[in-house]
Amino acid sequence: MVIANRLSRLQDTLSQEKYFRFIFLAPALVIVVLLTIYPIISIVYTSLHQYHYIQGTENYVGFKNFIRLVNDKFFLISIRNTFEFAVLSTFSELLAGLGLALLFKDRFFGRKYLLPIVIMPMLLSTMVVCATWRILYDYNYGLINYIIRTLGLGEVGWLINKSIVMESIVLIEIWQWAPLSFLILLAGLQSIPDELYEAARIDGAAGIRILWHITLPLLKSQVLLVVLLRSIDTFKLFDKVYALTGGGPGNATETISYYIYREGFTYFNLGRASAASVIMLLIVVAISAIYISFTLRGQTS
Amino acid sequence: MKRIVKYVLLAIVLCYTLLPIYWMAITSVKPPIEYITRTPALVPKRPTLSHYYKVIVEQHFTRYLINTVTIATGATAISLFVAFLASYALARFRFPHKFDGFFLVWVLLVKMVPPIALAIPLYVMLRSVGLISTRLGMIIVYQVYTLPYCIWMLLGFIRGIPMELEEAATIDGASPLRILRSIVLPLVGPGLVATAIFSIIMGWNEFIYALLFLRTPDAFTLPIHIANYITEYETLWGPLMSIGLMASFPVLILSGFLQKRLMRGFAMVLK
Repeated sequence: MVIANRLSRLQDTLSQEKYFRFIFLAPALVIVVLLTIYPIISIVYTSLHQYHYIQGTENYVGFKNFIRLVNDKFFLISIRNTFEFAVLSTFSELLAGLGLALLFKDRFFGRKYLLPIVIMPMLLSTMVVCATWRILYDYNYGLINYIIRTLGLGEVGWLINKSIVMESIVLIEIWQWAPLSFLILLAGLQSIPDELYEAARIDGAAGIRILWHITLPLLKSQVLLVVLLRSIDTFKLFDKVYALTGGGPGNATETISYYIYREGFTYFNLGRASAASVIMLLIVVAISAIYISFTLRGQTS
Repeated sequence: MKRIVKYVLLAIVLCYTLLPIYWMAITSVKPPIEYITRTPALVPKRPTLSHYYKVIVEQHFTRYLINTVTIATGATAISLFVAFLASYALARFRFPHKFDGFFLVWVLLVKMVPPIALAIPLYVMLRSVGLISTRLGMIIVYQVYTLPYCIWMLLGFIRGIPMELEEAATIDGASPLRILRSIVLPLVGPGLVATAIFSIIMGWNEFIYALLFLRTPDAFTLPIHIANYITEYETLWGPLMSIGLMASFPVLILSGFLQKRLMRGFAMVLK
């Protein structure tokens, strides 16, 4: 009797589940639709229109904004710069993170205290990072040029020389984000059983060969994760450019994000800025799709 | 020999990591004559706290601090509440047509969308409801960042709770709300705290939406304040570095609480 009673209560709750699941999910759903799905639909719409502020009108212009965009030299430069920055940063961070992870893999004296220090830059606000590097990089009064001068070498225009300014920003990016790649790769390294290394050593394999034939293949999924996360994040580069170079000198550091910012929020060229946003979204989707196909292939084989 | 190489490499890493932070700290206590020079010293000769005084008393550091705290914690509070309900539903209930799967994938994709690509429609939306340059507006917009993060984090924590407790409570006639409050909430407590701290750090450091949607100086957050300093005043480095240091302290202290959870936290964000 008691059991039957309880079972009927259980059925009651199961039918309640139907209502509760949507009540629980509803707030999140509303926010996600309002803040992500609607804006994406909206920029696609805007990218197909031309806005006239003075008349306050909008006309449908089809793909005209896109056609203008791919013929705009500055937009093409910004795409090239963005890819250059993303590729350079991602791979340098991967290498730096791998080096750090190998250094920190085994226990040593002071490891416990060094680890939090090494990952500190990642926690700082990008603007604080920019401020600090801005004064380190200063041509006349910066610490780095002071050291270079003392060594008897010529000063470097870190943020004012067209041909190296991108590398200067990459250096900051490595300082700030190599710790993330380090943490991911370290977690991966620590999950590799020691027996594998011992077996390899008994078979006569040494340093580099162990790294190449054992460690790296086993780290594959972590490496892919670092590449995905960092390439997507570096692809968005805006803050550092805004604070340190304003896209210059010339157009040397103008990125897609900065281009959209200028077109949309300085020139109020809404159609063109939206078209550039659509292109940017498509590139991000493509990068993610490549990553997903890589991981799926890895799983099946 | 191998050991020496290792310690040399560690020393180089430590220098590269710490030098910028050390330089920020000492520049903030140097008088201008010691940093506007072609031969800056590694140790300040006449340390001074005048920059801190100037920034806190004569400028509006506290106002920007309060704005930043309000926005970061407000956005986190909303995200935690909404994400807690949502991730419980996603972890425990079944949805028709794989709706839960699609929702989670979409939320993951949102994390990859460049924020600038959504900026124009979000600006138009905020303006139409009169929330440009308001803290409430920023709290709402920051859900783009904090909500997906909180949902994925909490989903992991809730999935880790054994289901038997909830089943027993259901049989005893507890409503889903009651189960959520009396069983699930206490069990994911530590997870909620860790999630909250990461989410606050995210809001604390955010730059691009704050730059675009906060148009009046009264409403600025610390990152915007710092950006204005970098771009407008060429060499007021002492005050700039003192602001930078003070803006970083809360974040570093918060993350200090997380030492052990840090690795797990990041691993969760990334999955």
